[in-house]
Amino acid sequence: MTRRLTFNIFRYNPQDPESVPHTDNFVLEEAERMTLYIALTKIREEQDHSLTFDFCCRAGICGACAMVINGRPGLACKTLTKDLPDEITLMPLPVFKLVGDLSVDTGTWFSAMNEKVESWVHTNKKMDPTVQEERMNNALAEEIYELERCVECGCCVAACGTANMRQDFLGAVALNRIARFIMDPRDERTEKEYFEVVGTDEGIFGCMGLLACEDVCPKQLPLQDQLGILRRQMGWTAVKQLFHIAK
Amino acid sequence: MAIDTTIYVRPQSGISAYLDWLQMLTGAGLILFMWSHMILVASVNFGVDAMNTIAKFFEDSYMAQVGGPMIGLTFLLHFALAARKVPFRTEQQSTMWKHGKMLHHKDTWLWVVQAVTAMIILIMGAIHMWTVLTDLPITAQKSAARIQGGFWLVFYLILLPMVELHVGIGFYRIAVKWGFIKRKTRQGFKGFENILTLIFIAIGLITIVRFILIQVIQV
Repeated sequence: MTRRLTFNIFRYNPQDPESVPHTDNFVLEEAERMTLYIALTKIREEQDHSLTFDFCCRAGICGACAMVINGRPGLACKTLTKDLPDEITLMPLPVFKLVGDLSVDTGTWFSAMNEKVESWVHTNKKMDPTVQEERMNNALAEEIYELERCVECGCCVAACGTANMRQDFLGAVALNRIARFIMDPRDERTEKEYFEVVGTDEGIFGCMGLLACEDVCPKQLPLQDQLGILRRQMGWTAVKQLFHIAK
Repeated sequence: MAIDTTIYVRPQSGISAYLDWLQMLTGAGLILFMWSHMILVASVNFGVDAMNTIAKFFEDSYMAQVGGPMIGLTFLLHFALAARKVPFRTEQQSTMWKHGKMLHHKDTWLWVVQAVTAMIILIMGAIHMWTVLTDLPITAQKSAARIQGGFWLVFYLILLPMVELHVGIGFYRIAVKWGFIKRKTRQGFKGFENILTLIFIAIGLITIVRFILIQVIQV
């Protein structure tokens, strides 16, 4: 028997002075293999054209459709309605700026984050287009790729108690990003330089270990493990600085 | 209103790292102390003499007289360090509360428990330490008399679970934060920590009952 799903969806348009934050209810018949993305598209097509939500790839790659699904941040396109109860409450991600309804601006936050942690390979080597690229050990390349799979959806930030309380906290995504560059032998940054970026209360030492990031990440990135490794690395760098032996 | 008014680069410092080290180390030290404390007090279950002998040893070696206040200072230092992370502003508290209710996430709630028990332990633990350390020597009869008075029975029935919860959650948190426990072992470790907490609460309750049963000779 097909289920009738009730969607309670947060509605608010910050651009419209008349708009008041409220919840709208929509009822929809469940279809086979229905994702939240399909359900939302159906609601927009058949019931309310003004419903705002983000999507792009529909395959869990772009990270645009992140929202709070029955309290948990997740990707609408990766969430099957069959895994949810009859009543589904959808809210926009906290922390980020609301564009309207379920759509938030993660772009501004992420570009600021990438600038802050200088999310690029720092090297003085000049690229010579005539020679072959330097090779990287395959196992290491795979390890780096594992962290590189991040789609910048913002779920880890929205689920983080610390990030919700403190606007200056970098969040798991940024710490995972820096961990990726620490691993990368092409990045010539010293441990002191990395410490400068994340060895603070805005960085790894602000993390309180609530591990919601680990539990909600739609890409199952090894955030808990990376945060642990980073805390130790930065902790040791601080100790080394005390004895003036940090590189 | 947050306007970036930075006109110079903040000087590099490792202060956050050192404070985080200290928070972890004082926490780990206090966990070890609390476990030892519980085992030592529970010695009363093996007889009044067992506890009195141990207490006498700690007083004769001045560990109670010196170690007690040292633990007190570590306790206050740990509070001051951890308080850097605890929300004291209403706005942050309500953010955290709403966040917890939204997320249905056990580890986030455990942190709230950690913060709330911390405040209770700060007051009750201080009262307990003051009472015991200003009335040395420690003897099973004196402890029994205190508990049989009624007020202290209620006092310890509250303090015991508060401490054990805080210690248990703190133990788990240190392990995951500093990478001792990885993704693979997290759930198993959490189960172990829950059982450990329950065992310590059980030992504590048995010990309290034992104190109630000790015949106090009125002097």
